[in-house]
Amino acid sequence: MAETSIFVVKTTANQERSVANLIAQLARKEKYDITALLVPDVLKGYVLVEAKAPEIVEEAIQGVPHARSVIRGASSFGEVEHFLTPKPAVVGINEGSIVELISGPFKGEMARVKRVDIGKEEITVELFEAMVPIPITVRGDHVRVLSKDEIQR
Amino acid sequence: MTEQACRECHRIVEGLVCPICGSSSLSKDWTGYVVIIDPKESEVARKLGITLPGRYALKVR
Ligand SMILES: [Zn+2]
Repeated sequence: MAETSIFVVKTTANQERSVANLIAQLARKEKYDITALLVPDVLKGYVLVEAKAPEIVEEAIQGVPHARSVIRGASSFGEVEHFLTPKPAVVGINEGSIVELISGPFKGEMARVKRVDIGKEEITVELFEAMVPIPITVRGDHVRVLSKDEIQR
Repeated sequence: MTEQACRECHRIVEGLVCPICGSSSLSKDWTGYVVIIDPKESEVARKLGITLPGRYALKVR
């Protein structure tokens, strides 16, 4: 049996999941040799299609709204493997990092990171502006790490 | 309406209980979307440890 590869389909932004669903539906109905579809979310405007040949993907996207084209060439699994194991939201945040809260009641506040919980993907910070430094715990994806440049300004 | 994903097996679940693993630990907070059509032939399915066709989340909080 032929090996599968990953082919990249360009889509309209924010239509990635509906494109994946429609291709999946067609694949089942028309018995296209498509084995899986992947929408990594971090890749805006693209759907990854696992299939045995590019022609199969070309054919499958005909008539699928918002599916624009198949990008020439196949990707190896090595190239897309990192999408399959999403990084915890706290990767890149360290104790002592200066962050800006981008969500929640303290949105816009700056804080210093006191603790990082990788398992829970949470960080504990102390707000700069607080009179008494009370540690608060927030989700890792609710902060933005400020670069050294931004801190000096 | 946001769909929910099973925290145990990452399957996108329509009801209140995951039909695959029986867990009721579901979450609306998930990212990354995968549709497995043919798990036996799919390298993606193999890498994710998925053995049943269907829709899954890559990451569930
Ligand atoms: Zn489950």
